[in-house]
Amino acid sequence: MTKHQGRGIAAIEYPTGMNQNGDPSQAWIKLKMDGRVDVFAGTVDIGQGSKTIHSQIVADTLGVPMDWVTMDTSNTDSSAFCMGTFASRGTFIGGNAVRLAAEKVRGRILEIGGELLEIDPGDLEIIDGEVVAKGSPDKKIGVGDIAGAATFVKGELISGQGTALKEYATLDPETGAVTIPPHSAISYAACAAEVEVDVETGDVRVLKLTQVYDVGCAINPTMVEGQIEGGAIQGLGLGLLENCYPYYPSAEHRGGQFGSYLAPSMEDLPELECIILENPSADGPFGAKAIGEMANNAQPPAIAAAIYDAVGIWVTELPITPEKVLRALEAKAAGQPESTRDGKVVRYDEALSMSSFQAAESAVRFAV
Amino acid sequence: MKAVGARLPRYDATEHVTSGTRYVDDVRIPGTLWAKALRSPHDNAEILSIDTSKAEAMAGVHAVVTFKDVHKNVHGHIEGLGIPGDEPLLAETHVRYKGQPIAAVAADSEALAQRATEAIEVTYKVLPALFDVRKAFDADAPQAHHWGNWYPHFEGEMDRRQIRKGDIEQAFADADVIVQGTYRPAAIEHVPLETQVCQVVPEAGGRFVVYSATQAMYFSMGVVAAHLNWPLNKLKFVGGTTGGGFGGKVDTATETITTLLAIKSHRPVRWRWTRAEEFLFSSTRAAWHMEIADAVTKDGWILGRKMLTLHDAGAFARFSPYGVTKHAFHHTGAYTIPNLEFNGFVVYTNRTPSTAMRGFGVTSVSFATETHLERIAQTLGMDPLEVRMKNATRIGDTSPNGIPYTDPSTVPVMQALSGAVGIELPAHYRTMTSAIRSGEDLPGHLVAQLGNPEDH
Repeated sequence: MTKHQGRGIAAIEYPTGMNQNGDPSQAWIKLKMDGRVDVFAGTVDIGQGSKTIHSQIVADTLGVPMDWVTMDTSNTDSSAFCMGTFASRGTFIGGNAVRLAAEKVRGRILEIGGELLEIDPGDLEIIDGEVVAKGSPDKKIGVGDIAGAATFVKGELISGQGTALKEYATLDPETGAVTIPPHSAISYAACAAEVEVDVETGDVRVLKLTQVYDVGCAINPTMVEGQIEGGAIQGLGLGLLENCYPYYPSAEHRGGQFGSYLAPSMEDLPELECIILENPSADGPFGAKAIGEMANNAQPPAIAAAIYDAVGIWVTELPITPEKVLRALEAKAAGQPESTRDGKVVRYDEALSMSSFQAAESAVRFAV
Repeated sequence: MKAVGARLPRYDATEHVTSGTRYVDDVRIPGTLWAKALRSPHDNAEILSIDTSKAEAMAGVHAVVTFKDVHKNVHGHIEGLGIPGDEPLLAETHVRYKGQPIAAVAADSEALAQRATEAIEVTYKVLPALFDVRKAFDADAPQAHHWGNWYPHFEGEMDRRQIRKGDIEQAFADADVIVQGTYRPAAIEHVPLETQVCQVVPEAGGRFVVYSATQAMYFSMGVVAAHLNWPLNKLKFVGGTTGGGFGGKVDTATETITTLLAIKSHRPVRWRWTRAEEFLFSSTRAAWHMEIADAVTKDGWILGRKMLTLHDAGAFARFSPYGVTKHAFHHTGAYTIPNLEFNGFVVYTNRTPSTAMRGFGVTSVSFATETHLERIAQTLGMDPLEVRMKNATRIGDTSPNGIPYTDPSTVPVMQALSGAVGIELPAHYRTMTSAIRSGEDLPGHLVAQLGNPEDH
């Protein structure tokens, strides 16, 4: 038997929004004269589907069908400011910007609807594109009729804008302490990796990844799963395959083409199981928090732990290549001495540099 | 029908898989010139002279730009966050990594632009290069920058990002076992299918339209405007469609130089990096060196953590100080450790600068802390799940920055995972919630770190 199976787990957390905040997103919305909704924002959809997510948020905030909503993120002339698509901020911060804009538009629709129906706006709601009296569903008027009346009778453009911005969190440079939360929310996840290690070749195959993500609210579960599955494969690449500098720290012998850089491909795809938990955030749109970036963080440690479970070695430099596996197996066979210091057992005594580093500010030699 | 929570198709999915999506490189405007850059062949060298006259004299070459054409050549992309610029748009007197742009050319064809860059004559004085972050602090190390080999401007004047919480020496005095480890994830590529690309088109009235694959239109527009000293209304960014970014297209790698070429040539200009340029000269995820020593009790409580992080920034800081700060804020992972001493350094080396990538600053620490936690469990002979549940962040616990957690989910995600893979948790951990600590889940060493001790 040269192939051994093992399982490892990892749990992670990840913040929503730029570290220390101070990163606004803005949006504005206008209604066409038939009630159709134009949303303008500077958010860039880098493939994660933020335009669809934001359209879903606008549709439900307004109470109109999803296919009424068009989102334009195409240029900086018509769109409002957005800090950018990074820091896992699109659904939460960009989503809050469109939600706030939609709430203003909703408020104005209800006011005009109230005038036309002669009912207090507080007694009205918007359902499937119609302003309806609460408790009297026969008293209603279409949002399209309201937009038409605004345009042609009242001489008004129904519009609204929203800005999502959390105050910058200053920090104490000595302690790192901050006065307000330096994030908009925190998401959590756990991952179990099942692997097979070939002790003859050092090859590691990931057989299955089971992953649980708390995303607050899955605005679109299919796209959340897409992030989890796509992130998992990126994490598998981090754990086992990818390296810009094969002889790091040397900068020589870099790849420069797909054929000499090992990114994961379909043949590396393990069985994937996703479980979504919804522990809502206080401030996110519909309770959502981020999923984007964290999706490739849990797999490398889960894979490393699974390899330990399978064959009893720790590889602590990524990627865990066959060469590193075989060298670690050789070291294990040779045995390791146990060390003690100040009467305490010290495990994995790898000649850390941090003590000497703090003692001397200059001319420190790291243990290499 | 409710849209939120529905499994609706992505608006662009069909177009992506049937090649209907129009990316930046699909924008074709007649009369467009091609850009190419002359890049440094050396890891570290002084530039003694740059002579562009032969390239400028070539038929079909419409513009050559160097540092002399840039109003503000050194602009830090996050100067607004107090991180000063250290990277020239086009090298002036020094190159610090192989591939650093020195000059750029706009010509009638891509091949001609390439030949023109090869006609630019640059003389260098080659210097020794630094590649190993662990040698950067040696007195005889090669110099990456004249101010030293690590970033000196955290909060203005600090040469490191540090966290200090609780009483770290007491934690180590109280520990039964000290578990140490070193963790070193590699630098990796973003590997977007679409390489770095942009197209800049001069318009009537003196405006320039920038077709960009950036992940952040306003951010990138601000970068171009700052280099040119232009108001924002002279530029229009057209984007919103990116063929793979993962953090690498926050860099604004092409837009400014291409705009300079469009200004100088009065023509539309496209700059599209080759696959080799994308692999070798576009920024990477950083390599990290992380050392952890944890003070642990024999029943699995983590009393304290000392950590040293060396972040291999490459030749320039870019977003690295931000990334190391985020890393520091999350260096206890999904757990609460009450006594902390963290030091993180942004170390310069003479390699391609690193930048943001999915999980920026935290991907590294997730690997280090989780692997370390497994090794703690193995050292103590405990179930790693039990160590996790015990130290899991709970409501009212405080972060490394002293902020109370309000809605942590370490406990429920671990419980759900255990159920999914068939791990039988002990009854105490099966029924545990994220509620405020009490009883046997509130040992003495955790009392002092609580956000509101009177709640317990």
